[in-house]
Amino acid sequence: MADKKYLVGIFNDEDVVMDAVQKIRSKGIKIHEVFCPYPVHGLDHVLGYERPRMGVPAFLFGITGTSLAFLLTFWTLGIDWPMNIGGKNFFPFPTNIPIVFELTVLLAAFGMAFTFFFMEGLGPSVKPLIFDVRSTDDKFAMAIDLNKNTISDSEISSFLKEVGAEEVNVKEV
Amino acid sequence: MAHKHEIPSLDESFDFSPALRKKLIISAIIGVAMVALGAFLLNNHMSIGVWSSGHGAEHGAADAHANGEHHGATLFSRIIGNIWMNSVYFLGISVVGVFFLSYNYVAKAGWYTSFKRVPEALPSFIIVPAIIMLGLFLVPSSREVIFHWAHHGVMDPASENYDKIIAGKSWYLNFGFFLVRMVSYFAIWYYLWTQIRKYSLLEDENNDIYFYNKSRSYAKMFLIFFAVTSSTAAWDFSMSIDTHWFSTMFGWYHLASWHVAGLATIMLTILLLKDHGYLKSVNFSAIHDLGKLMFGFSIFWAYVWFSQYLLIFYANLPEETIYFRERLSGYDGRYFAPFIINIVLNFVFPFLILMARESKRNMIFLKLACGSILMGHWFDFYQMQMPGIAKDQGGIGIIEWGTTLTFASMFIYFVANQLSKANLVAKNHPFLEESLHHEI
Amino acid sequence: MSVVSPIREHLVTGGKTYHDVTEDICRHVEAKPTKEWKVAFAISVLVLLYGGSWVLWTWWEGLGVWGLNKTVGWAWDITNFVWWVGIGHAGTLISAILLLFRQKWRTSINRAAEAMTIFAVLCAASFILMHMGRPWLAYWALPFPNTFGSLWVNFNSPLVWDVFAISTYFSVSCLFWFIGLIPDLATIRDRATGVRKSIYGALSLGWTGGAKTWARYEDVSLILAGLSTPLVLSVHTIVSMDFATSVIPGWHTTIFPPYFVAGAIFSGFAMVQNLMLVTRVVYKLEDYITLEHISLMNKIITVTGSIVGVAYITEFFIAAYSGVEYEKYAFFNRAAGPLWWSYLAMMTCNVLSPQIFWFKSMRENIVVSFVIAVVVNIGMWFERFVIIVTSLHRDYLPSSWTYFTPRMGDIGDYLFSFGFFFTCFLLFSKFLPVINMAEVKSVLKSSSEKNSKQ
Repeated sequence: MADKKYLVGIFNDEDVVMDAVQKIRSKGIKIHEVFCPYPVHGLDHVLGYERPRMGVPAFLFGITGTSLAFLLTFWTLGIDWPMNIGGKNFFPFPTNIPIVFELTVLLAAFGMAFTFFFMEGLGPSVKPLIFDVRSTDDKFAMAIDLNKNTISDSEISSFLKEVGAEEVNVKEV
Repeated sequence: MAHKHEIPSLDESFDFSPALRKKLIISAIIGVAMVALGAFLLNNHMSIGVWSSGHGAEHGAADAHANGEHHGATLFSRIIGNIWMNSVYFLGISVVGVFFLSYNYVAKAGWYTSFKRVPEALPSFIIVPAIIMLGLFLVPSSREVIFHWAHHGVMDPASENYDKIIAGKSWYLNFGFFLVRMVSYFAIWYYLWTQIRKYSLLEDENNDIYFYNKSRSYAKMFLIFFAVTSSTAAWDFSMSIDTHWFSTMFGWYHLASWHVAGLATIMLTILLLKDHGYLKSVNFSAIHDLGKLMFGFSIFWAYVWFSQYLLIFYANLPEETIYFRERLSGYDGRYFAPFIINIVLNFVFPFLILMARESKRNMIFLKLACGSILMGHWFDFYQMQMPGIAKDQGGIGIIEWGTTLTFASMFIYFVANQLSKANLVAKNHPFLEESLHHEI
Repeated sequence: MSVVSPIREHLVTGGKTYHDVTEDICRHVEAKPTKEWKVAFAISVLVLLYGGSWVLWTWWEGLGVWGLNKTVGWAWDITNFVWWVGIGHAGTLISAILLLFRQKWRTSINRAAEAMTIFAVLCAASFILMHMGRPWLAYWALPFPNTFGSLWVNFNSPLVWDVFAISTYFSVSCLFWFIGLIPDLATIRDRATGVRKSIYGALSLGWTGGAKTWARYEDVSLILAGLSTPLVLSVHTIVSMDFATSVIPGWHTTIFPPYFVAGAIFSGFAMVQNLMLVTRVVYKLEDYITLEHISLMNKIITVTGSIVGVAYITEFFIAAYSGVEYEKYAFFNRAAGPLWWSYLAMMTCNVLSPQIFWFKSMRENIVVSFVIAVVVNIGMWFERFVIIVTSLHRDYLPSSWTYFTPRMGDIGDYLFSFGFFFTCFLLFSKFLPVINMAEVKSVLKSSSEKNSKQ
């Protein structure tokens, strides 16, 4: 399936790569993705990605947890089998807060994490497309999909070098 | 470089205009007039206010005539209670200025440096509540109104007012020791602030790490002293009003309330200064961080409040539950509304407003949150102190509004005056660069 | 880019490059176990087997193998439980709270601290199972309707809250830890071959480190930290409520929730300090866990120790102030009763000993740091012992007043938890990277004395 061809620019430094991304994008070249060994603050911003909003799933799952926990405690102790405990109401509000809180956090955390895995296509049997193995060690690999760019390969290649790429490789998949 | 910052000029001085001075003085006077008007109206069985105030004026005043001796609370109690409550509240906000500076100094924090002159200005107000509180304590009639343990004969076995439990606390709650404690809190808190402030101002003229280290060692001293006195002050100023009642959590609960109110004051001051074109170098990342602290400590306050409530509710021991009983349904239920408003304004609103990232970068949302927290903690101190002082005479009306207006005006006057005395940016602080380039 | 003030200490020394970080950390995962590791592992497994046989005996014979009596119904079991849970707080705390406060120094220690959390929580849970006596009925604590109809667990009981709190805390800590591991597992995968490659490949979930993934990943981490922070607080709060909701003098006191949390952070940091000091020497990680890290941890130990000290004073003061004679006696008995020695141990170890760290030379002295960290953990064990046993052994009924003496069953079961803990920790330190490489790399440029190649 060698119909996709990428140019992979290898960079050494986060500031250089950040600068390079801006220059390349301003030239109208589309970047497939930049792979980094660690999170580079602000790189997603210069690549033009939207600010991640993982708080949304966390909030929705959290609310679900809150409601489920309330339902559980209210239905079991308030309706299904009311018990007199310490002379309090059958459903004393304050004493239910701990469980409601725990289940809120539990669902929010796991819901958000699995949403993240799903969105990023992460899973134990996933075979990742690795452009350069050094990108999990010490290099920053910028992949440019040649099929999606109209500028010629050699021009992109030389421009990559110009903005600081240490080497430029071709990767076909 | 991906992010370039335009760093505005660091030389800024706040102009405390004579017009503003005049306005503040006038509003302080209006506040006093409001209290006088409220008192006059109440004496004539009328009132301006909400909740049980009007109700209280009719029944309370009648009660006071009928069996005033038994309840012991009068209109005078309500006014004294108001002054004491506002003193403690504003004292807390002022002290939190030093507290905030101290823990940031000790933790070697950098982010807050660009606005550090704001918390630095707050403690200048300490002297006002200090003088008022000492005055109220030294005058026997107001002392007896505020503190149950200071009632005449309460510790004397021969007296008909004798109260065995309170007499058992005389080793801690007695005139001399209490006075010594009060004076030492005020004096030492204020003194340590003056030292931190002094070296911070000297740093503006001389770029030398020596001044930073000096401030830092005073900050350490303050933290050590405050670690204990924040709790003892809470016992003295608030818990000992309901002399029978006790709760080990109270010291930290009181501190949590002071702290978050102080943070909201710092935030609001920054925002207002920014509105008037000052503090240009304070960027939104620093404000965002302060917003997070407000958010976090609102939750912390709620946590402490809830833990105390839950444990007392759960164990249901009469000597402890009486405290909440009084607030929930005591005195014709007049403290029920403040009790609930307290939780809504201090936890529910700030939690919902400040949860989203964008709202911590939005001036309007932040101001709403600050307003909610500042009003909320006013209610917190109200429901901590008024049931014990004003008892069946409590209410919320023109007297409360007037007292608070006077205190707030004086507070703003002192803070503004202090701000005008120094450059608004601590320009030689070793972490200033970090703060100016702070980005999250 | 962020600016770091020149007066700050460097967090990574030795002029490391990104590649050096990968090498230094992966080396231990990839190489054959060292002799020291093998010896330590063998000892841990032996202790585990010895302690495990005591646990089996406890279940076979019943709780009579412990020193409990009809007055003191909780002693070492719950003391150990609270002690381990407390230790288990520092990991998530370091990751979560220090992440929220953007303390960069957390990067070198968070991985090991989180692993420690998970193992410590497991140790704690083992004591819950042990003290049930009939562990095969442990599911009764879960909200299933019972066999006769639909009588549910009592959601008003702090013991049930505990079940929810500890299991939530355990699961979320595992999740947090695992999410932190993913990028590092990918690093190992990209260096490995053969079976190891497929194992680490499966564990790393196909991570590639694209900028978009990283951005979402950071958002997830931050929100998880935001969720974990109140979670950490809630767990020890609920543990404290096991005691504080009762009406036993010495147990029922409102300061318990935050005071227990402070104590937990205190002992957890002490345990992290111990483990990191050992790891640092054995794995030669002096450039990553520097004296600055040790000194900062010592500062936190001093601060939390002092907070706990304030809480001790508060409890004592309020007991005297309250005018309640039972309350007064409970605290008098703690300090001057037959178990005075445990109270003395608690006070000296927890409040006094960390004050030595006011001196910079002591803070940066490795031997002193190690010794004090051990002392603190002893003190924190005694704190729980003091709270539990001294409050129980002289209750409302003087005719049933008694003393508590541990028996071999108590000691053997306690040893089991140590064996389990160290076995797990050693396995972790062999097969997983003990330092979060990705996070260390992210602070390397601003926090190392020599910037990497530019």
